[in-house]
Amino acid sequence: MVTRPVRTLGFGALALVLLTGCGAQATAGGGGDAGTPRVGGTLRLGISSNPDCVDPQQWGTNASLNVSRQLVDSLTDQDPADGAIKPWLAERWEVNADSTAFTFHLRDGATFSDGTPVDAAAVKASFDGARALGPKAALVAGYLAAYRGSTVVDPRTVRIDFTAPSAQFLQASSTMTLGVLAPAAYNKTPEQRCQGDGLIGSGPFVFESYKQNQQVVLVKRKGYNWGSPLWKHTGEAYLDRVEYRIVPEPGVRSGSLASGQLDAITDVQPVDEPQFAGNGFTEPVRPNPGIVFNLTANTTRGVLTDPKVRQAVAKGVNRQEVVDTVLTKNYKAATSVLGSATPLHTDLAGLLAYDPAGAGALLDAAGWRPGPDGIRVKDGQRLSAAVVFSAVFNQNQSALELIQQQLRKIGFDLRIELKTTAESTQIQLSGEYDFIWFNVTRADPDILRQTYSTKAGNRSKLTAGNPLDAALEKQAATTDRAVREPAAAEAQRIIVEQGYSIPVFELTQVWGLGPKAHALEFEASSRLRLYDAWVAE
Amino acid sequence: MTRRLLQAVAVIWAAFTLSFVILYLLPGDAALNRLGAAEGGITATPAEVAAVRAEYGLDDPLVVQYGKRLWAATHGDFGKSVMTGDDATGLVFDALPSTLEIAAAGLVLAVLFGGGLAVLGTYTRHRWLGNLLLSLPPLGVSLPQFWVGLVLIQIFSFQLRLLPALGTDGFAALILPGITIGLPTGAIIGQVLAKSLRTQLAEPYVEIVLAKGASRARVHFGHALRNAALPALTLVGVVAGNLLAGTVVTETLFSRDGIGRLTAFAVNSQDIPVVQAVIVLSAFFFVTINLVVDLIYPLLDPRLAGRVTRKAVAAGA
Amino acid sequence: MPDTRTRTRTLVRSPGLLVSYAVLVFALLAAVAPGLFTDQDPIAGVPAERLRGPGAAHLFGTDETGRDVFARVVHGAALSLWATLLAVLVSLVAGSALGLLAGFRGGWLDSLVMRFVDVLQAVPSILLSLALVTALGFGTTNVAIAVGVSNLAVFARLMRSEVLRVRTGVFVEAARASGVRWRGVLGRHVLPNSLGPVLVLATVTLGVAVLEVSALSFLGFGATPPTPEWGSLVAGGRGFLATAWWMTTFPGLTVAAVVLATNRVSRALDERGEA
Repeated sequence: MVTRPVRTLGFGALALVLLTGCGAQATAGGGGDAGTPRVGGTLRLGISSNPDCVDPQQWGTNASLNVSRQLVDSLTDQDPADGAIKPWLAERWEVNADSTAFTFHLRDGATFSDGTPVDAAAVKASFDGARALGPKAALVAGYLAAYRGSTVVDPRTVRIDFTAPSAQFLQASSTMTLGVLAPAAYNKTPEQRCQGDGLIGSGPFVFESYKQNQQVVLVKRKGYNWGSPLWKHTGEAYLDRVEYRIVPEPGVRSGSLASGQLDAITDVQPVDEPQFAGNGFTEPVRPNPGIVFNLTANTTRGVLTDPKVRQAVAKGVNRQEVVDTVLTKNYKAATSVLGSATPLHTDLAGLLAYDPAGAGALLDAAGWRPGPDGIRVKDGQRLSAAVVFSAVFNQNQSALELIQQQLRKIGFDLRIELKTTAESTQIQLSGEYDFIWFNVTRADPDILRQTYSTKAGNRSKLTAGNPLDAALEKQAATTDRAVREPAAAEAQRIIVEQGYSIPVFELTQVWGLGPKAHALEFEASSRLRLYDAWVAE
Repeated sequence: MTRRLLQAVAVIWAAFTLSFVILYLLPGDAALNRLGAAEGGITATPAEVAAVRAEYGLDDPLVVQYGKRLWAATHGDFGKSVMTGDDATGLVFDALPSTLEIAAAGLVLAVLFGGGLAVLGTYTRHRWLGNLLLSLPPLGVSLPQFWVGLVLIQIFSFQLRLLPALGTDGFAALILPGITIGLPTGAIIGQVLAKSLRTQLAEPYVEIVLAKGASRARVHFGHALRNAALPALTLVGVVAGNLLAGTVVTETLFSRDGIGRLTAFAVNSQDIPVVQAVIVLSAFFFVTINLVVDLIYPLLDPRLAGRVTRKAVAAGA
Repeated sequence: MPDTRTRTRTLVRSPGLLVSYAVLVFALLAAVAPGLFTDQDPIAGVPAERLRGPGAAHLFGTDETGRDVFARVVHGAALSLWATLLAVLVSLVAGSALGLLAGFRGGWLDSLVMRFVDVLQAVPSILLSLALVTALGFGTTNVAIAVGVSNLAVFARLMRSEVLRVRTGVFVEAARASGVRWRGVLGRHVLPNSLGPVLVLATVTLGVAVLEVSALSFLGFGATPPTPEWGSLVAGGRGFLATAWWMTTFPGLTVAAVVLATNRVSRALDERGEA
């Protein structure tokens, strides 16, 4: 720990360890903490799926963001330890009272890789350009939903205005999704930028090439010297070159790491995790912030209209058994609808304890009596609901099958319906579902508003003016933690207590690092940050 | 000949049409796939979805969409991929070289091993050895391709560390994918060649040539193999198409780009321009191969040729 | 037609064929009465006994949730064989019907049907299967139908050429001359005589279908666990190849044995047909 060039590690790292509860590996991996970082070399990194598009503003998949984070800088940075927003391209900022105007004061000296300066005009061009992408850029559309426009106050000051309170924007300004691209980037079409053509950022790495389904190559940005204060060194990145190899088959990915054909991999499958514990290998782990994997109930459909039924389902799910059986100890049972790595997460473990007797009592009280096949019945209606899901995460199916068995024990029949992406999207748009199974990564509690507010996603199909809406609007209106924290806590409590959502487990990033790879880091949204990474000879 | 050409064009047109129909029968459409691809599901409103549909022309009446696509396709333009915005034809031609590489490697290995087994198996005087060698080809078509590929990777790349499991650098990177993709084809070639070699060796002329004092090797390689190779060679043309079918599995295992990966992704996301570009390309290959085979047929014994094609098609289906 | 005695003699002379028949009989028995082979539960595992290697207690070892792999292979026979049979039936019935129609009626109908068959062959079968599975929805039955459709072109071609061959045969000419109607000729002469090679093709396709179903499982379109099915057992266990080789190897060898056996049997049928 002592030999590493530490700047802002100290308390931050300690807090992250406590927060994620998964040991010292959580912050920095690779051959432990031994050794002095080496300048130069190539990192061969195996990723699990094709990024499809490497423009951070357009694409929101993990594979894509793990690449694009290295290419762009953001106005601010977010501390993974406590979610605090820190300076990056902006030295400081002011937010007005109702969180509708954000004024950023940019640092001096940062340039894009085409040599042009990162100034207020460039930031305005980038935000306008991002907003112009429309609904196809799903993440931008959420972050800039109430975007009114940007104003160049002076060359180093830019003000961003919103038509409605947007406290979440401060966190959004730290994401790669709102990373700043050079004005010249917008001379190219969005399709060209997707393939890296004209993808000009000011980040510590520069795009070199992208071969679909095969590899993406980045090289070090010469002269980079405007990193975030949260990072561990200053100046240029250590690595000369990063090769992202797209290796979809999990066994090939882990085997290639074990046999030294790759230096590091992402998405280590639960079955392969034991391989990389020890023997010079390390396994950095961090849960994703945002909404955990959960069963969100449509409160207007069938048996789920009754809050007692939803609450009984919440008690009937044995989260720890799901984690122990289909996942590994690196994964955490949900303690709220938000993951534990989300800022303003509230621990509601007490409400989410496994309590089949309590579930039975609730169902008895609501008049549901065991039927001939063990499934409860009331007035000729079976206690049954379907869950719609698509195979975005490998263990989804196994997890749901186990939950199905667990709920059977309390007399609830959960029907599992696997759908294609398009079909589940259609079902979600039409609202014709009982339960939907999903997660969302976002290091800000506002994701609850985007998902559950009757004015936004409204996944539980609530009616306008309910208490949840009030709490969600309150947390959206201020960046003042003292006001925001209780409002966010209230929103989480309502969602869990009312059984609008039945949280199950936290999606977790598990990487494997070979003996040569060091210091691949998680940023606040649990995506890859390679600035401090280095490879031994 | 004109008639055959017209038929070929008709087949390509029908393949184009069939792919259009199938993709429209699927639930949902490309716009939903594009907007719903993000983690957490769709965030767009129905109005925004409609706007994206309009952008890709997905809200036109089916007939209009079909007409537009067909007209553009006759000019070599299949449109842009809905998922990535790339030109569909460009995507196909970008992916093609990688696929042709492993397909060629697979074909060479298939001919060498399949042919070698058949020749040795029929040449050897040791009955047990012949039986053993000739029982290998059927084994080759009875193992799941992905399993064979994984075992090869496990042994030669991860345990012995002789060959790379991924990457496209150099000849060594082609060996394992070549074996994986070539195995079923080699097995078919082996089976067919062994059978026609046996038939040839049972012909009366063999006795005569031997009686004239020719060596056994000369009869085997000079006469029987030459006669037997012709139908097997015709077969190579037919199974080349089968190689393409094995690409999706092989490319996934060996982390390579190619037509298979491109197609699987495009079908999953209902990316009609890309799927149609692939289909028309493969239909073009198919009719070309068939035209060539039709031209070669009269040059061979018609009876033999007819039978071999049937067997080949049956075994390689 | 060989009588029983010569057939028995063929079997004795060819132990490979005997073994092949035995493999198929065992597979069928497992499908009908899995309880004969194992009394272990294929669905509910014993977590404490997870990832045990092959041994006396677990012939094929156990999987990641402690389920007996042998029990899963045995109980998987029913679904696997059903899927395969269904796939072959789809190809056989639809393909033969098309081929019969084309070969028998001739003319423009022949051209139309055969061009359609061309199209089915021109579209790569894996693509056709992928699209069909996506359209029909996930699950073994749908996978089987998709595999069946993607193979039917071969049956149509073969049936047509057989019909054309038989149609010009002397006995058909004779039947026609003696005033038998076409439908009668079709049913009594053409169909029975052309069916032989088609059935041989069907047995070959059985093996092909098992492999195709398993390839689709590999690509994520297979049977939905926990129901065991051979293709998805091989595909599902592949992540454990390095750490628990038995999970994928034994189901893989089972598939290989059944495919080899059907191949051998179909070759025997073929040779008898030609003799």
